[in-house]
Amino acid sequence: MERAWRIAFGFLSIALAFAFVAFAQVPKTRNTPTQAEWTAMAKLPDFSGVWEPGGGGGGGAGGGARGATGAAAPADGRGAAPVAAGETAPAADGRGAAPAARGGGRGNAGGAEGPSLTPEYAAKAQAEAQARQANRAEDNPTANCLPPGVPAIMGQPYPIEILLTPGKVTIVIEAYTQVRHIYTDGRPLPDDPDPTFHGTSVGRWEGDTLVVESVGFAKVPRGINFPYSDKLKVLERFHLADPNNLTIETTIIDPEALTKPYSMGSRNYRRYRNWTVAEYICQENNRNFVDPDGKAGINLANPLASPK
Amino acid sequence: MKNRIKQAICPVLLVASLIAGGTVPAVAHHSFAAFDTTMQKVISGTVKKVDWTNPHTWFWIDVPNDNGANDTWGVEGISPNFLARRGWTRTTLKPGDKLTVTIRPAKDGGMGGMWITAKRPNGEVLSMGGPVTNP
Repeated sequence: MERAWRIAFGFLSIALAFAFVAFAQVPKTRNTPTQAEWTAMAKLPDFSGVWEPGGGGGGGAGGGARGATGAAAPADGRGAAPVAAGETAPAADGRGAAPAARGGGRGNAGGAEGPSLTPEYAAKAQAEAQARQANRAEDNPTANCLPPGVPAIMGQPYPIEILLTPGKVTIVIEAYTQVRHIYTDGRPLPDDPDPTFHGTSVGRWEGDTLVVESVGFAKVPRGINFPYSDKLKVLERFHLADPNNLTIETTIIDPEALTKPYSMGSRNYRRYRNWTVAEYICQENNRNFVDPDGKAGINLANPLASPK
Repeated sequence: MKNRIKQAICPVLLVASLIAGGTVPAVAHHSFAAFDTTMQKVISGTVKKVDWTNPHTWFWIDVPNDNGANDTWGVEGISPNFLARRGWTRTTLKPGDKLTVTIRPAKDGGMGGMWITAKRPNGEVLSMGGPVTNP
């Protein structure tokens, strides 16, 4: 009798374990897309294809090259001297001069005014600026192939591809081979997300504009040139300026660090229908480095040992 | 053929050459921190090896030194992804090609630099910018 009870209990335990595993694997909010949802996709603006960032201030390599040649400048309203594009690149990495002097991330046109910091964060900004001056850090960990986070990752001089499927927008980013997952299925932002490079993102359509909100950001270089709290939210508005130009407006919201939202301005992207996103494995042959003290250098050893 | 290293040129000339259309190879995954962006240097020699690699290309140039031997210089260029959209291929420069390269020298004084522009003996200029070739 006791043995039978034990066997029954054993079976029950196994059944419960299976039930638990099965339950855990059920997506919490995602449903199988319906035919109607697939059909509705056709009414959304056409964000498909490969887009090259450029426009505004420090445009990185793209801006520099275009500035030099003028090839694409008319379409993007740019054409600044290439020296400006290259030499302002460090600002994209969250370093450099006082926040008010910086327009924002690489390639952004820059906000009309600087961030309005709360007294606590203004003090932090000042302390960080003094520390930077004392340390004279030449570079940051992106030199060692660590990707910059959102929003700076959106403005590298490499293209992005935007994929729309029911309930989701996926952004494939060539630089550092990154990907962003933006859920448009109506799920809410998480209350207490783990901090990550690109945050946790949800999106919604306001007419033809995709509005993306992201929260949960790790303290990594991300082109935000002032101290921010774990309440940081990045708001991005995607819309087509014309059939082959996409604009993304980026706004920084942080109730602890900022007295009001800070606009980083707009970044323009030009669509190239014939392009594909290429492989970018930063660790393949990275000869640049920065040490823990911020000292930058290059490694010229073993030139023939490179993989190709 | 004079393959001697020409000495660094003053910053004023550098800026002037950039404004005049010289291409700045914007190094994409970080700043120009390891290079002296206020100076430039011209090296002439023979391509020894091409690393058509990410995050950046590297062009290894054998430059004759005063001892009758070669110094191998490493010149960092833009990523192959960027260059391939602007007319370059992995065989645009091949081992054995003669080349004069203008670089931003490494701050540490080593035999390295960042590509600004280059010229072949026939006068062909190898720019890393320019319009996209496959729109």
